[in-house]
Amino acid sequence: MRTRDTNKEEIVKLNAIRLLVEKGIEGFSMNRLAKESKISVATLYIYYSDKEELIKKIGIEIGKRFFDEMAKDFSPAMSFKEGLYKQWENRSRHTQENPLDVSCWEVLTHSSYAEEILEESLQNFKIIMGQFFKNAVERKELIPTISKEVFWSVAYGPLYSLLRFERDGKNFGGEPFKLNKEITNEAFELVLKALTP
Amino acid sequence: MENEINNILIFGTNIKTEKDKNSISPILDAHPEIHQWNIDLEDIDSVLRIESETLNAEQIIKLITEQDYKCSELSE
Repeated sequence: MRTRDTNKEEIVKLNAIRLLVEKGIEGFSMNRLAKESKISVATLYIYYSDKEELIKKIGIEIGKRFFDEMAKDFSPAMSFKEGLYKQWENRSRHTQENPLDVSCWEVLTHSSYAEEILEESLQNFKIIMGQFFKNAVERKELIPTISKEVFWSVAYGPLYSLLRFERDGKNFGGEPFKLNKEITNEAFELVLKALTP
Repeated sequence: MENEINNILIFGTNIKTEKDKNSISPILDAHPEIHQWNIDLEDIDSVLRIESETLNAEQIIKLITEQDYKCSELSE
């Protein structure tokens, strides 16, 4: 009788994420994944019916991990300042601790799989954040007339720019850069100023 | 879920295109003992995956080769 080897499954998942980042969706192959995970192609296909199913499952798992991280110590009842700061902390930690997850998420959410993956993994997160924004507007802590895209760009754009400098260890001019609490707070205060009525 | 994986058969084939796939679909779809099947046209092995509680590999191979396609069981 066949049994599921959860250890092997974890190895397969990690390799799949790495290969998706390295090769992209087009260049990703089940055959190569099997080889690099030291299992047979047949075994791989017992777990996943095809490449499509594997990619979807991997994407949904990454999305759920992301959601769990974002929801950590966060509540929609928090004040806007406190809640947004928690989001910054969570995003910052997640991005720095899981670079492969983040790169893979980037690949998948810019592919034809995006819609399905996002819908399944981020449903709860959307509800929580929606409630958070509603509360913030009601308490007059957030400007009421702002589109989602502009909000996201202003609220998180600066953080992700700083995280990119941190990842590269240097700024656009090639000068060394290290992200610390002081710099993070400086950026956060400016963001808060822009979003507060 | 744990039991399901005992009823899965995996084959390498030369079923490469949608057209190839369409030519064998009716037989596999209509087969009363095949619970579910799919072919991964995206991968070089063109893996055929069959879920069936009763059929064995030889029976599947016969079914596919009768349609003039190659089919061999992939070992684990």
